[in-house]
Order: sequence, then structure tokens, then C-alpha cells
Amino acid sequence: MNFNFINLQPYSNPQYFIYLLIALLPIIIGLYFGKRLKNYEAIFSLVFLFLIFDGNHWQEGINLIIYLIYEFLITFGYLHYRTKKDSPNKSWVFNLAVVLAILPLTAVKILIQMPKGTVPFVVGFLGISYITFKNVQVIMETRDGVIKQIDPLTYARFLLFFPTISSGPIDRYRRFKSDYEKVPSREEYIGDLQLAVRYLFQGFLYKFILGWFFGTYLLPKIAMRGLIAGNAIGGLKLSWWVVAYMYVYTMYLFFDFAGYSLFAVSISHFMGIHTPMNFNKPFISKNIKDFWNRWHMTLSFWFRDYIYMRFTFFAMKKKLIKNRIRLSQVSYFVLFLIMGFWHGLTWYYIVYGIYHATAICINDIWLRFKRKHKDQLPSNKFTQWFAIFLTFQFVCLGMLIFSGYLSQLWFGWQ
Amino acid sequence: MSNRRRLWQIFGPVICAFILLLIVFLIPWDRTFSKEDIFEAANSQNTTVFKGVKMKQEAFDDGYVPFYGSSELSRLDPLHPSVLAQKYHRNYKPFLLGGPGSQSLVHFIGMQGTSSQLKDKKAVVIISPQWFTKQGQNPQAFELYYSPLETIIFLLNAKNTKTDRYAAKRLASMPTMKTGAIKTSLKLIAQGKKLTKTERAWLEARLRMLENEDKFFSAFQLRDRIQKINDQAKLLPNTYSIKGLTAIANEQAAKHTNSNRFGIDNRFFKTRLPHKELSKLRGSQRKFDYVKSPEYSDFQLMLEQFAKQHTNVLFIIPPVNAKWAKYTGLSQKMYEQSVDKIRYQLASQGFENIADLSKDGHRKYFMQDTIHLGWNGWIAVDKAVKPFMSTPNGRYNYAISDYFYSKHWQNRTKVKKIDLTDKASLKDK
Repeated sequence: MNFNFINLQPYSNPQYFIYLLIALLPIIIGLYFGKRLKNYEAIFSLVFLFLIFDGNHWQEGINLIIYLIYEFLITFGYLHYRTKKDSPNKSWVFNLAVVLAILPLTAVKILIQMPKGTVPFVVGFLGISYITFKNVQVIMETRDGVIKQIDPLTYARFLLFFPTISSGPIDRYRRFKSDYEKVPSREEYIGDLQLAVRYLFQGFLYKFILGWFFGTYLLPKIAMRGLIAGNAIGGLKLSWWVVAYMYVYTMYLFFDFAGYSLFAVSISHFMGIHTPMNFNKPFISKNIKDFWNRWHMTLSFWFRDYIYMRFTFFAMKKKLIKNRIRLSQVSYFVLFLIMGFWHGLTWYYIVYGIYHATAICINDIWLRFKRKHKDQLPSNKFTQWFAIFLTFQFVCLGMLIFSGYLSQLWFGWQ
Repeated sequence: MSNRRRLWQIFGPVICAFILLLIVFLIPWDRTFSKEDIFEAANSQNTTVFKGVKMKQEAFDDGYVPFYGSSELSRLDPLHPSVLAQKYHRNYKPFLLGGPGSQSLVHFIGMQGTSSQLKDKKAVVIISPQWFTKQGQNPQAFELYYSPLETIIFLLNAKNTKTDRYAAKRLASMPTMKTGAIKTSLKLIAQGKKLTKTERAWLEARLRMLENEDKFFSAFQLRDRIQKINDQAKLLPNTYSIKGLTAIANEQAAKHTNSNRFGIDNRFFKTRLPHKELSKLRGSQRKFDYVKSPEYSDFQLMLEQFAKQHTNVLFIIPPVNAKWAKYTGLSQKMYEQSVDKIRYQLASQGFENIADLSKDGHRKYFMQDTIHLGWNGWIAVDKAVKPFMSTPNGRYNYAISDYFYSKHWQNRTKVKKIDLTDKASLKDK
């Protein structure tokens, strides 16, 4: 029997939006008239989730279900432990809960690096990283005592919130819950719709026009020329094509990902949920720190709050490092190395992490130097533009490392 | 501001944009492509060009001759038909159609948009026995070459004939065809039913949109191989002679195949047949069978299309690299059996221009790699193409038979050997 499954990967083509918006219509009309159709919304989300994980992707769907059961056990187990009367609130229990929560993601990251054919089953599922981030955040806030109770259904909706399931933006549970439990006033909701439409069309421009142009049209040509020129030169194999690749790849990555994020934010707004933005004009950053406050913001804020800050407090409490400057530097390295490993266990992701950690430390040193010598250093339009220019070059070079093209060039694999 | 007004300000522009887009796509635009674009397209082997219509139509009106084939067309050495035509200012220019994985069924669909342009004209088909596998058209490759535009042209012109029913059935069976108006219409045609008025109207609207898309976008992203053709042409002697060409072919081939004992192009050998791969392939094709295949009936669809257009067609049957076939265990007997079937199917219906090179796989520098023609092989092709192209265009009639759509024919193993030199007996049919 030949089943023709309709399989819809999120935001992959323009038709997808037609199906999506038609399915959203009842929710939109409901919200406009002051009703949140929670049941319809649940069915709608399940249908679209099913369409992601059916057909050839069914093994991923099974993985998702197993994963959810596992994470629910951990989260609610820990919640129970933490909120019971006179909870001992032991650190080791908390640590164990976090380790168990990230265990599946870690396993997936290792397994996908195994040589082809050695792992006899389909590993992971679309969006495992982002669900894990959400989960860990809830466990951490439970530990802090900020989250005292979790409604299982709302929690499931939060984890599986359909518009952001595949690649974020990463929302926070308390923020999501407060949006989800209220119905916006008509004026507010019209404001949401206005943003939703704007983001949707900005997303079209970014992903389907600019992202396509840089990524699908230009990039393969440049990549090929760069490889040919590189093999002709020998040595480090660096030609001007590599420079072109660096800029084009950066543009592609930004427009593709920012476009995708805009779709997710737009669809959330149609549903009356204010999923946070992921990008804020990253290329006008005046330094690296500024860049990380503008680029993939929900991820970098997650890393800031749940890795950088946690590590810093931990190290301070245990008096591991006394010097505050040294401490922040170590924390940066911890943050960016973990981020690098999370991207994948390959040399260029790890180098990318070290690259940015080094950069942000140097940036801190420079800022301190600047503060001390305020009177001697000029600050005007030119220096500000120069800072933006320099940061941009630096960011692009980082993206070249991140792209893996150098690995392709030097070792023939990516 | 009232809510209604705000809503209008938000959604008004979106609605207007959609209406405008619909209008733009439904207006019957016209355009002509530049000669440079067409030349580039003819040699690009792009799937967008393959699936499109307008460029092919203009090209065939302007002295281009379609070369239907598959992966061998991309072997652009100095003796490739495109290079020879360019260098010696022939009265035709090859328009390369097909690439890896294209077989009869996608070619049949790919021919739907140009039937009036090819009326009483010429075409060349490189028909590889490798197409005639147990499965026939490879579904993944079908996905790559499938043209909704030309499928709709087929549907709108389809009649209740064996050919159209068979074609519709085959197309509907491809996994690429999921749901939607095209699939439903194909099923109707396959059952010998008529399309309803609404279906026709829907298909026509869709056709208009696809035609516009084709006109707007098919000149984008062409693979530019003009430079390469010109570079290759520089290697050729200025006056045409088989002797001169053979010298170049031997010289080039010797240089490009010195890394292995099979006479396979060095680069192909290095990238596609590294040691591990190579040892896996030893004896791996012993059981290959090109004799029983649904492809024979798909091929009949192509023939029927040529017959409808009264096109004069030259068929070229390429060999396999004999040293390679020996290594992989591919049976030459089986290969010849499938060639006999192809020859029978052609000659018995009046397609008499057949250049059968299937026994030349042992000749030196005849193949560029494992199964693809190169150097001296291309010269052998030119020996057939050159005289074929110099005959005047005319209306050719064929004696088409529906027998070739039957399972019986698909699975038949024994056929009468056709002697191509005996023109008198051919005429008998």
C-alpha cells in the first residue's frame, strides 16, 4: 500500500503559510472577540506537530514522545522534591536533575558524530536543543524557588509551543504562562496583529528573498570557486574567494535565521503570545558584547542567565577565583566553550567558541582601559563608525570559522 | 482610530498584494530570450530548462536540435557534439536535454511543450540500455525532472487513447505525485474519463501561472559552460577530418586516463571509484538485467510522441566500457539482448535511423568512464549525426503499435534480430 503522507516542515515554503494561516483563523477570530480557544489551539498544534513528524520522520516523532515522558518525570520529580514541606533542597539533587535533563541532548550530540551506519536507529528529533533549553530553565527556576507550581498541560504547551518548536526563539515559562492565561484586550490584540503581519512579511523578505539569494544562489558558486582556487594555490589554500565566502555566508546565516525567527515571532503574535525577538540589528554592534546582546538573543540570554551567572555565583561562593576580573574571564570561556560544544563536536565550533571568548575578554580589557583614560581617547562619529566596522569584520571572520568551510578547504570534510 | 480602520490598515495592503500577485501571474506575458541566454541554456543541462517550455520552444524555432539523453551529455570533452557543432559552424546547434537519472518517462513529459516546434523536424536520442532496469524510471530522479507545467499541457491535450491512458497511469504512480488537481486529473485520464469543466478551468489557471513563472525565471541560474565549450573547441584542428579528430581524441584520452587500467577518466576514477568503492563493485553487476523492464513501454511513449510530431529521429545506442563490464561482471549477452529489443521496437515501427554502438565498448578511448561515451565514442556519434543533420527536414510517418505497452512486451526475452543494413527488409514492415 502506497501511503502518500503530507509532511510539512515548519516555514519551509510559501504554501506552508497558507495552510498555517487558514488553520489559525479560528484562533485569530476568537482572540479578536475576547476568547482564547484553548482546545482548538491544542488540536491545531497537535495536527501541525504530527505533520512535522509523520511520513519519513516518524522515528523522530517516537523519539519526541519518549523524550517528553522522560523530561516530565525529571521536572515533576524535582518539583515535587523542591516544593514538599521542609524540602532539604540539596545541591546534589538539583545537579542530578540538570544532568539528567541534558543527558538526551548530550547523547544526541555525541551520537550524530558517529560514523555513518554505526548507530542503528534514528537519533534525536527536530528541535531537541530548544526543548531542552526550556526544560533546564524551568528546573533552575524551580531550584531558585521562583517557580512553585507547574500545571502539566500548560507546561506541555510551553515545551511543544508549535511556532517555536524547531529552532526557537527560546521563551521563558513564566512569561509564556502569563501570556497564555490572559486574553489580550481588543486594542492590544490589534497591536499584536499589526506586528504579526509586519514580522511575517519581513520574514518573507529575509528568508525567501535575501536568504535565498545569499545562501542558495551565491554561496555554492563561491564555495566551488574557492575550493578550485585553493587547490591550485596549495599551502593554506586561502584565496579572495574565501573572503567572499566569509561575507556571503554571514549574510546568508543572518537572513535565513532572522527570517525564520521572525516567522516564529509572527505566528506567536497571531496566537496572542509575545515570543521574544531573536535579533536586533546585530551588524550595528559597536563591540562584541553588544553583538551578543543583538545576535540570537534568546540563546545568548539563556547562556548568560543559566551558565555565565550560575557559574560566576558558584565560583564566588566556593571562592574558586578571588580576582573578579579573572573570574568573569573564566566564566566567559565556560560559556562560549559550552556553546561551541552544543553547536557540535567538531573542531571549528569549538574554535569558534574560544574565538568569541577571547574576543569578549579583550573587549573587557579595552573597556576598562578606556574608562581609565577617558580624557586622552577621542570619541566621535568616526571612532563610533570605526568600532562598528571593526566589530563587523570580526564577527564575519568568526562566521567563516563557524561555517566549517575552512574544514572543507583544508581537510575535505565539513 | 476605529478598530475597523486599524484592521484595514493592517490587512488591506496584504490583501491588495495578493490580488496584485494573482493578476501579475494570470496576465499572459510575452517575452523573448536573448540568443546568449538560449545558447547558455542549451548547454547547461539545468533542470529548470528541462522542465520549462519557452526556452526550448524558441531554441527549436531557431535551429537548435534536441539531444535527448542522460548523464553522458555532460561529458564535455573536445569531441562532444556541442563542441563539434560550435567549432565547425554546423547548421544545427545541440540543445542538451537530460542528465543523471533522466529516463523515458521524464523525457516524454519534457516533450509535451514543444510538439508544434518539432513538427517535421529532427531530434537525436541517446538511448542507454541502463535505463531499462527492473524498476524503470527512478522515482528520485523523477522528482528532480518532473515538470508540472508540461504535465498540465499533457493533461489538457489528453485523449482516450492507449498512450494517454498508459502515460497518465505511469505518472500517477510516481511518489512525487502526492495529492491535488494534477493527480486527480491523471487518475481520470488513466481511467479513460474526461476532465470536468472545473478541473479544466483550474488546470488552465495553473498553466498560466506556471508559464509565467517559466518566462520570468527560467533564464536565472543557468550553468554557464560556454567558456568551457570554447576552450575545448580550441584544441580541435581547424579543418574537419576524422583522422585529425581521432589524433586529438587519442592524445587527450591518453592524458586523462593514465591512472588506471580501465581507461576511465582520472578524475572520475579518483573521486567516484576510490579503492574501497572499487573493490565493492567487483562482480557486483553479474545479475543486472536490462531485458525485462517497464521502461520499454515508457520508451514507447517517447516514440508515440515523435510519431505524432512526425519528427525524424536519430537513435544512438551507446556501449559499456568493456574492461569495466568485465570487472563488474555485467553480461554482454544480456546487454546485446536488450539492444536487440530496443532495435526491434524502433525498426518495426519505422524508426530506421539507428547508430548502434553497443558492441564498441572494447575500442580504445571510446568511453570516458564506466558507461559514458567520450573521445572516440563521440567521434562515432558524429559519424552518424553529421550525415543525419545534412538530410533535409521532412514529414516522417511511423507505424505505431500499442503492443509495446503490454506486459508481454516488457517481459519478452526473445525477439527477431533486425539487420539495420538491409533497408529493403525494413521497409517491409
